[in-house]
Amino acid sequence: MKKILALVLALAMALSLGSCALAEDVSLRVWVGDNQDIDWINTVIENFKAAYPENNYNIEVGVQNEGDCSKVVLTDPTAAADVFTFADDQFNSLMNGGALQPVVENAEEIIANNTPESIAAATGSDGMLYAYPATADNGYFMFYNKEYFTEEDVQTLDGMLAKAAEAGKYVGFPMSNGWYFYSWFKGAGLEMHVNEDGVTNSCNWNATDTPITGVQVLEALLEIAANPGFKEADSDPFVAGVKDGSIIAGVSGTWNANVAAEAWGDNYAATKLPTYTVAGQQVQMASFSGFKLVGVNPYSANLGAAMDFATFMTNEQSQVLRFEMRRQGPSNVKALEADSVKAEPAIAAIIAQAPYADVQRVGQKFWDTAAALGKIVVNGNPDGTDLQTLLDNCVAGITAPAEQ
Amino acid sequence: MERSKAIKQAAVPAKRPGLVRFFASIGQYIAGVCRDFMEGDLWVKLSALLWGSSCAARGQYVKGALLTVLEAVLAYFIPVVFWPYMSKLNTLGTVQQQRVYNPDTRQNEFNDYDNSFLIMLFGVIGCVLLLIAVVLWLRNIRAARAVEVRAKEGKHVNSFREDLTDCFGVKFHRTLLTLPVLGVACFTIIPLIVMILIAFTNYDRNHLVPAKLFTWVGMGNFELLFNMTADSTFAYAFGRVLAWTMIWAVLATFTCYFGGILLAMFINNKKTRGKKFWRTCFMVAIAVPQFVSLLLVRNFFADAGIVNTLCKNAGLTDWLYSIGAIPTANYIPFLTHPAWARPMIILINIWVGVPYQMLIATGILMNIPNELLESARIDGANAWQSFKSITMPYILFITGPSLVNSIVGNINNFNVIYLLSKDVYTTSDQLMANANANEVDLLVTWLYRLTQDQSNYKMASVIGILVFIVCAILTLLAFNRMIKGDKEENFQ
Repeated sequence: MKKILALVLALAMALSLGSCALAEDVSLRVWVGDNQDIDWINTVIENFKAAYPENNYNIEVGVQNEGDCSKVVLTDPTAAADVFTFADDQFNSLMNGGALQPVVENAEEIIANNTPESIAAATGSDGMLYAYPATADNGYFMFYNKEYFTEEDVQTLDGMLAKAAEAGKYVGFPMSNGWYFYSWFKGAGLEMHVNEDGVTNSCNWNATDTPITGVQVLEALLEIAANPGFKEADSDPFVAGVKDGSIIAGVSGTWNANVAAEAWGDNYAATKLPTYTVAGQQVQMASFSGFKLVGVNPYSANLGAAMDFATFMTNEQSQVLRFEMRRQGPSNVKALEADSVKAEPAIAAIIAQAPYADVQRVGQKFWDTAAALGKIVVNGNPDGTDLQTLLDNCVAGITAPAEQ
Repeated sequence: MERSKAIKQAAVPAKRPGLVRFFASIGQYIAGVCRDFMEGDLWVKLSALLWGSSCAARGQYVKGALLTVLEAVLAYFIPVVFWPYMSKLNTLGTVQQQRVYNPDTRQNEFNDYDNSFLIMLFGVIGCVLLLIAVVLWLRNIRAARAVEVRAKEGKHVNSFREDLTDCFGVKFHRTLLTLPVLGVACFTIIPLIVMILIAFTNYDRNHLVPAKLFTWVGMGNFELLFNMTADSTFAYAFGRVLAWTMIWAVLATFTCYFGGILLAMFINNKKTRGKKFWRTCFMVAIAVPQFVSLLLVRNFFADAGIVNTLCKNAGLTDWLYSIGAIPTANYIPFLTHPAWARPMIILINIWVGVPYQMLIATGILMNIPNELLESARIDGANAWQSFKSITMPYILFITGPSLVNSIVGNINNFNVIYLLSKDVYTTSDQLMANANANEVDLLVTWLYRLTQDQSNYKMASVIGILVFIVCAILTLLAFNRMIKGDKEENFQ
């Protein structure tokens, strides 16, 4: 009797083992950028499990700021999450550090489903797609208060500054921040971008033989910074100024859209960046477009599942969900067509700025150096240094060789 | 007094320089080992090959077995586990990672690539183990001979139980020290060697493991730091940062030091009422975690912060602008302009640091022999004179070593500087910016940002070595001057 029981039990165990092998246990770790993304990602995970019932997924969610993601991942890629979200400014670092798995299985599908700009941001210098575009709203544009400005006024920076000065208020711009500071020079036709090696930069901001020279741009900037209607305002001062009413327009991104919308109510508006005067001409301010991208860790123990999840996390359904739950602008072409998306002023402004926006391809040496020049402009060049020298120093820093 | 003279005389016969003596003693030891080996019997000679055989031959079976096991463990781990890394230490690896995606398994397949960092880490551990093995081997031969001599002279040979008892008896100091020494070796010395070695490699964002390799570059990084070439501004930034670090260390230490003593004296004054209340008030600053108060203060003094709003409303900002003390009329750049940020940081540090010094000084003040102060008063000394000639020298004598300690601590005072300048301070010095430094950076905060933001591990390591050298020189100088003097008698 006992023997028969043992035999039955053994058979039952063998069967249950066999059925387990069919529904494989797959563990994944996913990093999202913000605590507020948790509800959204949990919904996505439920949808994903429903869409892939053949496996037994165990997905663990962690929060890792998208702006610092590359530092954490590169410290030890083998210990990082299987799927992580990062801002596109870190694409180069991550790719050069070998921490991004190329999209090998469904690149055509991803390319067809997302805007060309977002695909460009996720494509390496070797032409391969290395990441999955998740949002297309990480760039900057102009917020303004309709109480003070007409649509005509916001076409030129001169007009805006004059109106603001008249009202005793300010137009905010984060001058001593390289990400925004780029806008002026690129607008005037001067170039700065990373080289083929993905680490060092090329830069001609100190050019003297271009239609608009670097010195002319710097002169224009010093004039703008000295305008009584201008205020240097990075994110925190911008928020403070909008709340206390001293800032009535300013350059920032979707992350401050709620602040402006709450403070200005029905007068809240957003549009592309204005033109500014340099060497007697009006030039359109350029910008960096910004995308949030999803990367897959090449060292993942479940690489196939990680790629499936990254694809699912950035598909139309998940991007629409992301817009609905987090107001983040999609990069998916179909998701972008929804009326609710188009009606969002901040996203409309991003789309309006898009023709003048560049994909951010910048080596690490750019940031501190550009910020320093911006700071000098804000301070009004107090030492009276020759402008060409300032630009030469700046270009030397930006283009410094990688060994340093 | 008598004793210290005796010590001095005993120390006199040191004639030869320390390094020579060190190598000479090593030579003597090895000569001793050779002699033991030659004079020893067969068992001693055998124990050079098979540790513990001499012990076992004299009846110390357990000890002998343990030694043999130890030998086996070392003989396995060093060649099998660590040698693959040690043998690549000269190049730090030559096989770069290559990965190929396998569509069938949906996994990446990696080649058998080298990881420079692991080579360095395990290579160093292997070398340390090898050194330990050699030392143990030499000691083992000496011990083998010693036990032979004891046995032949008919003296008592310790049993294992007796050896164990010794560990808690005459050799108890060794037992106690084992754990700390192991801890220091594993968690301080080995990482330290690795960190120092990185200064001689090109480990930076272009050579991040495991995807890429890094290798030795000799003194190249040091040259980069000291040679002001056309496109390197590290030398410029290093000079500036070092100068500010020293100014900061001296000012921060002395302001807190004297501030704390004065505060303690005011509170301890006989006429002060509610001593405990005042002391508690200042203690609150310690009770709140430092980083919380620092981040709060940073927000208070931000360009759009509450202090600026108050100053603006009170008209102070406009007045400062009219006399040209600030570059813009919008705000006072408390933490964003070097001329303002540096004094502000020192002031804020006083607020954070004075309570600690006050606590220490309170204790010392209570210990000053009252007769000294009493007799001074009878001799007609006023308050300032007795402070200058009695209280201050007494406090200085007692706190001298801790003063040196706090200067070194302030050189490495990461919290205050980093938390007050993080995300707020942007330099307008282009050459500094090109080296990722700024005017309020200490060497440590610069080092931190080089590693965290720039992945520039090699330069960070170079700067770390230099910080160590600066601190070591300062400490040696200060301790030699302050503590060598026979000041003790002044207070007897």
